[in-house]
Amino acid sequence: MIRYITRRLLWIIPVLFAVSVITFLLMHAVPGGPWAREKALPDAVEARLNAKYGLDQPLYEQYGRWAIAFATGDLGPSYRYQDRTVNDIVADGFWVTFQLGVMAFGLAVLVGIPLGILAALGHNRWPDYLTTSISILGVTTPSFVLGILLIVVFSVQLGWFPTGGWEGPETWVLPTIALAGFPIAVIARYTRASMLEVTRKDYIRTAHSKGVRNQSVVSRHMIRNALIPVVTILGPTLAFLVTGSFIIERVFNIPGIGQFYLNAISTRDYSLLMAMTMLYAFAVAFLNVVVDVLYAYIDPRIRYS
Amino acid sequence: MAQKRLLGLVAVVAIIAAACGGSTATSAPASQEPGTSGPPASAAAPTAKTGDLAEEQILNVDIAGEPPTLDPNKAQDSNSLTVLRALHRPLVYIDPATLEPTPALAESWEISDDAKTLTFTLRDAQYSNGDPIVAGDLVYSWKRLVDPRTAAPYSYVMAEVEGAGDLLALAGADPLPADAEIDALLDTLGVEAPDDKTFIVHLSTPATYFLAAMTLWVGVPIQESWITSPSAFEAGNYVSSGPFQLQTWNHNSEIVLTPNPNWYGDVKPTLTEIHMSMSPEPAQAMAAYEAGEIDMLLPVPSEDIERVKADPVMGAEYTEPPALSITYYNYNNGLDPTGQKTNPRCEDPKACPTANKEFRIALTQAVDKEAFKLATFANTGIVAGTMIMPGLPGATPDYEPYPYDLAAAQEHMATALQELGYASAADIPPLRFGFNTGSGHEPRVAFLAQAWEEAFGLKTDQIGSEFGVFLTQRTAGEYDLARNGWGADYPHANNQIAGLFTCGGGNNDQQYCNPQVDEWMTQAASEADQAAQQTLYEQVNKTIADDAASLFLRWGVNSQLVRPYVGGLQVTPMDSQVPGEHFYESIQMLVRQ
Repeated sequence: MIRYITRRLLWIIPVLFAVSVITFLLMHAVPGGPWAREKALPDAVEARLNAKYGLDQPLYEQYGRWAIAFATGDLGPSYRYQDRTVNDIVADGFWVTFQLGVMAFGLAVLVGIPLGILAALGHNRWPDYLTTSISILGVTTPSFVLGILLIVVFSVQLGWFPTGGWEGPETWVLPTIALAGFPIAVIARYTRASMLEVTRKDYIRTAHSKGVRNQSVVSRHMIRNALIPVVTILGPTLAFLVTGSFIIERVFNIPGIGQFYLNAISTRDYSLLMAMTMLYAFAVAFLNVVVDVLYAYIDPRIRYS
Repeated sequence: MAQKRLLGLVAVVAIIAAACGGSTATSAPASQEPGTSGPPASAAAPTAKTGDLAEEQILNVDIAGEPPTLDPNKAQDSNSLTVLRALHRPLVYIDPATLEPTPALAESWEISDDAKTLTFTLRDAQYSNGDPIVAGDLVYSWKRLVDPRTAAPYSYVMAEVEGAGDLLALAGADPLPADAEIDALLDTLGVEAPDDKTFIVHLSTPATYFLAAMTLWVGVPIQESWITSPSAFEAGNYVSSGPFQLQTWNHNSEIVLTPNPNWYGDVKPTLTEIHMSMSPEPAQAMAAYEAGEIDMLLPVPSEDIERVKADPVMGAEYTEPPALSITYYNYNNGLDPTGQKTNPRCEDPKACPTANKEFRIALTQAVDKEAFKLATFANTGIVAGTMIMPGLPGATPDYEPYPYDLAAAQEHMATALQELGYASAADIPPLRFGFNTGSGHEPRVAFLAQAWEEAFGLKTDQIGSEFGVFLTQRTAGEYDLARNGWGADYPHANNQIAGLFTCGGGNNDQQYCNPQVDEWMTQAASEADQAAQQTLYEQVNKTIADDAASLFLRWGVNSQLVRPYVGGLQVTPMDSQVPGEHFYESIQMLVRQ
């Protein structure tokens, strides 16, 4: 098991390498640069800035310099926030984003899984229809619409919560709900489908015919087996949530790192964009390993060697 | 001291008023002159009235995002400037009413007869850290600004200073010359400080607009020992020369400013704190205003304007003072700096119809600008016929050589088609019409494309691109038609024309070139006589419109919301994120109703 985990973790390195090369090439292939703005900079100033940050060098040299710096933990300078390094920006915002992500994830799991189970147990009756309606609403409502809606109703109309910021528990409520909306829907749908599939399995029928109490069948046999496919999507969901939702962070004015992702793309803040992409890639790769390891605990049939 | 006591008294009155159940006054407060508010010290009113100072002098505003830098020499965007205007004050500043340069750090100045030497006398002043502000700090700041190693975006405003040309050109050199060589050049820069109170600027050419350019944030005094220290821009280290100082800067979250105890200005801040949130999302900022978390909002999102105007409360808080900005659309004139056709696409006139003046006139006359403004700008702004905004020298607000007139448009189009060799406008291959997506330009582009198609059967290929991509293509002259806009850096006609409509200018994306315009601009720069100078700018302004160089559509306004309890505002057309942002020191919080 230890060897398996070690091998999987080491595999993350070539994955990150591939992601970094592709991202680096793609972002430099897009026209425009970090100095583009409506009021054009004088050519000489733009050339000076390019030279200062090495943007006038061949791409492979730029990549080489970036990779070496990255390996030593230096994420480089931000082109837009010239007095700060990307390390500063990530260090400032990461824990806010992480906290928001974990809370939203917790909420999504706590609400999504029970909703899915309820729907499956009440298959084709009202609990099912209710859950399905909630899920469809959750999946189809873009998070910024949900976010603005929450702000208008609960902040502007009712005045229960602040409209934004990240200054205490009262500012956490709305963004957590807004961010959890989509994953709640997805997790509920997965859990429902998975539960329904398990219901038809032979071992469930066996358990029922042995005279095991229904409650016990559901909790010990159905839910545990039904959760295996759900765990699969929990990994990427958590990765997505903890690396930030730029939409929710923007809508609620949250000082995390998520909103920098989108900004970095539009302002061609190359080093910030690379840092954000690598962070996301690492989170996805790492959490996939975690999920695979979790399988072994949930499903005794799975054994790694 | 007297003022402090007065404030204390007002505060006591306000507390009593609050205890008695608040004020009963209902009339709306007028904005007031700083220092004249509050009840007379001798006769305290029994209850606080509208217009009295509030007990708590904390202003909450939003600046729309994390400032990219608070380095005055390097700042270039409105998020940063909104903060810098509270933290620093240049030698000369704008008069809020006339926008003319007025004394700030300089108590007076003299301009030599040849208009090439400016001698400033400094006031007795101190930085927020208590050190005296000396003329040598200005010399340091200006040298740092044009130093190619700084690579400052606004270094070009120093172009007319003696010796600056070589330094600015040097920025493009790769690799840079040795430090010693640059330092030697910097030593020849035409700025000197013969003593701590005298600052002299030598210009290489007369530049009548130079004083106006000096009102910019870039040339403020800077202490070398501060700006070269580590983490100079973090709260606690920051040394300011303006009415406020940087109390806290929680990156990406909040900036708190407090009064600079050493501020030398005549108007001392009444506010004890300014809280600046940084919401990147206009809808959130709008909600924050409605929920009472911020006291002012600029700009109001255009999709909310109708609702705001109809709202019984917010309708009264909403105003649209003029702004020094313009919405216009480029016609590709297809000309190079010498006035010759060079855009390879334009060698064949048939392939480049916008290079034809009659064609441009026809397009201009086919656009109903009033309808455009109503349909796509929530009817805000002023219909524009020329480039220079009203209120600036050289403006000709009523001049419109080609008003909306479909019959006249058809005539010009007929002439154009004949000159171009087309039988009908429908035969012209679709014109490339560029704009950037995601910033609300789609309906405007659609309005114009529709107008031209209806009038002439002219087809356009509407190309929406991401901002950076769009800018690259627009600069390269790859569009026939392209969205454009401009906001004044400093209130002077020179800033509206130079570089934008001068041959080969850095922002001349419409590839327009009229040597006569360039000549008048050069003349105006050295014309000391105000009236003669203004006439020259007026000629320039009219000629550019006569040439139908661009489609000028709308001069902007600042659509803004201000709660009635914010007093003492000195709004200027240069404000961009916070109403009255050039004069935070005069803002006062009044008793709420």
